[in-house]
Amino acid sequence: MLSILLVAPLRASQDGIVVRTAAVHAQASHGSTRIGQVTAGTTVSVFSRQGGWKEIFSEDNSIVGWVRSYQVRETTAAAPVSAEAESDSRGFLAGLASFSRKASSFFKSGKDNKSSGTATIGVRGLSEQEINNAQADFAEFEKMKRFASSTKRAGNFAKQGGLSATKVPDIPGKK
Amino acid sequence: MKILTQAILLFSLIFGPAVMTPSFALSFDDLKKNLKEANEKLKEKAKQGKKTFDRARGKLTEEEEIEIGGNLISGLLGAAPLVDDAGLQQYVNDVGYWIASQSERRQLPWNFGVIDSEGINAFAAPGGYIVITLGLYNLLENEAQLAGVLAHEIAHVVRKHHLKALQKTMKREFWADLGVKAVGNEDKREKFRKLINSGVQLYASGLDRNYEYDADLRAVVLAARAGYDPYALLDVLTTIDSINPASSELTVLMKTHPPTAKRLDQLGRKMDGRLDDFASGQLNAGRFRQIAINP
Repeated sequence: MLSILLVAPLRASQDGIVVRTAAVHAQASHGSTRIGQVTAGTTVSVFSRQGGWKEIFSEDNSIVGWVRSYQVRETTAAAPVSAEAESDSRGFLAGLASFSRKASSFFKSGKDNKSSGTATIGVRGLSEQEINNAQADFAEFEKMKRFASSTKRAGNFAKQGGLSATKVPDIPGKK
Repeated sequence: MKILTQAILLFSLIFGPAVMTPSFALSFDDLKKNLKEANEKLKEKAKQGKKTFDRARGKLTEEEEIEIGGNLISGLLGAAPLVDDAGLQQYVNDVGYWIASQSERRQLPWNFGVIDSEGINAFAAPGGYIVITLGLYNLLENEAQLAGVLAHEIAHVVRKHHLKALQKTMKREFWADLGVKAVGNEDKREKFRKLINSGVQLYASGLDRNYEYDADLRAVVLAARAGYDPYALLDVLTTIDSINPASSELTVLMKTHPPTAKRLDQLGRKMDGRLDDFASGQLNAGRFRQIAINP
């Protein structure tokens, strides 16, 4: 255990929150040994992602292992509050507040999570008004068409990037 | 009188076939041929009827869909022009075209673009026109993440989400006789204008939230089919989720999409275990970085 505690902080990591109680596996695979469990609301360090898995370290129960990536959410350097976590478990939020580091208003501040909703004035980038009032720019549209790729070009591009067409079955959805 | 009629009827029944000229005689083969022809005619009529019916319900031809999409994307380009970087635009087109080639609608004239806006968003228009804002592009870390975003938009086009939304908002009568070839007619041209306006407004009001979840789910499958790591889209959503939703860059995205945390949860659970075999797909971070230096 001691070695884990020593090693863990030395590795590059991000803060994260367990959003769903998750089984911790020894490796990034479902078939690997289950070495424990982390409960929703626990703060963890996230080291890396491998496919659908994230490697985490939980100080609470001194555990290093792999969980399904959607069970843990990175909270960046900013405040670690997500809407879901907020409603799921309020108790740990107070503790998290102390974790909160200085962050630009760009990132979640924790306090100011709820948008005023009508703040379209002074919006940088495409605002609702800009979209609704836009005059069609057909010259720009013609320009856009000139950059179009082709079957041949995209095929070469894929080859250079080590990409090949792969058979993947559909995932059943509602619609 | 009655008796006479019956007598004539009886006479013609008995002698009729004998006095018939050969041209009236129907052989069994002729009968079959006639039946077949009649059947085909009926089928053709049914087809035409279906076309009229489809039109009345607002089913547009692919040509019309492309025409509408071109107008919608021109509207968006009017709000924010393309980033002036040919290398970047070509790169995004190559990635997008390759993914679209794996879809059921690969024959569409797929066009992609990066638009000069700090807002974090991406938009799709019917017919295969897709733009991503520079604000969102700059948040991405590798080509697989770009692929995830583009695949989400491609899925909207493949599933005709915008057309379906427009059909819901416009009354049935509206769609009758609407089409590209009808543009010469003033009344129809006015209809077309209305359609484009409603379409552009759709970008500010958003699609049915179920369409967004649907596009997420189809996007990861499409990305995997194109050889990319499908989990990269989850990474993009995670990044967006770390940004203050009240920040102005996210206003439109937040208004038009389900909460990012909910999307992450839904998508994560649906993917769970189903795409593990494809998680070793490409990220192509190196190639992405080389391109991203220029803008």
